[in-house]
Amino acid sequence: MQTSFAPIVLLLIATSGLALLLLLVANIFNPGRPGRVKQMPYESGMDPVHDTRRRFTVRFHLVAIAFLVFDVELLFLYPWAVAARPSPADAPRGIDAAVATGLIESRDLVFVGVMVFFAILALGFLYDWRKGVFRWR
Amino acid sequence: MRPLLIEALVKIAILIAGLMTAAAYLVLWERWIAAWIQDRRGPNRVGIPLTNIRLFGLGQPLADGVKFIFKEEITPKHVDRFLFFVAPLAIFIAAMLAFAVIPFGSVLPVEGSHGPIQLVVAPGLDVGLLYLAAVGSIAVYGVILGGWASNNKYGFLGGLRSGAQLIAYELPMGLGLLGVAVATGSLRLEEVIRQQAQTGMWNVFLQPLGFVVFCVAVTAEAGRLPFDLVEAEQELVGGYHTEYSGIKLMMYLVSEVLHMMTAAALIVILFLGGWHFWGLTGCSQEVTWLQAILRVLVLGGKVLALITFFMLIRWSWPRFRFDQLMGLAWNVMLPLGMVNLALAAVWLEYGPRLSAWVGLGSGTAQAILGWAALLVSWLIVTLIVPTSTDNRARLEAQDLDRLVSH
Repeated sequence: MQTSFAPIVLLLIATSGLALLLLLVANIFNPGRPGRVKQMPYESGMDPVHDTRRRFTVRFHLVAIAFLVFDVELLFLYPWAVAARPSPADAPRGIDAAVATGLIESRDLVFVGVMVFFAILALGFLYDWRKGVFRWR
Repeated sequence: MRPLLIEALVKIAILIAGLMTAAAYLVLWERWIAAWIQDRRGPNRVGIPLTNIRLFGLGQPLADGVKFIFKEEITPKHVDRFLFFVAPLAIFIAAMLAFAVIPFGSVLPVEGSHGPIQLVVAPGLDVGLLYLAAVGSIAVYGVILGGWASNNKYGFLGGLRSGAQLIAYELPMGLGLLGVAVATGSLRLEEVIRQQAQTGMWNVFLQPLGFVVFCVAVTAEAGRLPFDLVEAEQELVGGYHTEYSGIKLMMYLVSEVLHMMTAAALIVILFLGGWHFWGLTGCSQEVTWLQAILRVLVLGGKVLALITFFMLIRWSWPRFRFDQLMGLAWNVMLPLGMVNLALAAVWLEYGPRLSAWVGLGSGTAQAILGWAALLVSWLIVTLIVPTSTDNRARLEAQDLDRLVSH
């Protein structure tokens, strides 16, 4: 079966249209009586003391970087996951096809490679853990 | 127009109408369950307007929708107007887009543009799981941008927190997806269901560890209790949507329900066999009308059961503290997910040989291995990381443990 992204583009257009339509309709029926106090930042009834854009704890940054590293490394595993499934000998695909045409020596080599990749991932995780990136108090 | 596009348009119309209705009525369902658990009556009065007919409160979602449209929408003076406008749109559209690859049934016995009509908006999309991961990540933008643009301290803190939570739990979710992808050898959700239906062994039996990791991760991604830090109303008022009102608030709330539906549908499709039920739905791609309808009903029933389960959890469990939440994600779920993926990889390579050597069927041997892994890892986790299962503060727990050991 052919892959087609056209339905997804259609869905994108349809949902954007729906969202904008909702905003438009609400904008028409919205009573719209703004006031000075209504437009103040909400701070449980107190007058706001300073601006919000100030320094905040660096831990969020550390977690974001750790996330980026691990997420990208996980993305590399998706092609392997699809290619690694054993296929029948008369119709090889993925890694089996590569082995059949002599591109790779054997399936075991790929497996060892993936496991080494995995070990490096685990090592990075252990390093982050020992460095206290995931400690929140 | 090409028949493919007409087919897609019809499906999109059904999908959007169905999702909007389902989201509205799931809110009512949740309020009924809350009322039942808390021993009160819940919404039961709104029926047909201008009459005295009450219909058990089935008119409530319509009334809520109308109120959201007529409600005054305040855009405070201090906000970043563009981001304030974009953030709810982003989260809403992304939540809807995820349903493009989620099948809501099997096939219909009617010839479409390419063979029988498949009950999914984008049939045959080879990158289904990857697409879901990609679209799911956009929710983080909605949350962080909303909190940042509000320029409100509650909103900002809520946005930061939920951003950290969402990205932390995306890793275990990705690992759960990968475990299924390794076992299936395909990223297409229809193919995942088809293989489970063919063998009759759902993935939950083969990879229980992956199932647990994935369930916890998607619950956190959907922002459901006990991972409800996204809007900790006791400490952060409304979290990232404190400053939102009117229709934009509705977009946030609707996308929350949509996230819950996506989470339930994903668990069902990846681990609980999708539309398959033993002896009821069959497993071939040629179906009769009865089978086609049964499959839709089975899938819907499973999803509704899981959503009800989420709701029961929500109204009966307390919330995690933030350090417990992050500890669970990074120290428990991520290693467990890696163990599950490594096991799946080893099984893929050596499983058939191993089960032949032991003398068991391939499925049985894998199931035994999977459940053993779940048991062992659960024991290890409770021994090594007590704070992840213990509600005491860490210092206090250490002091107590020292006292006990002396």
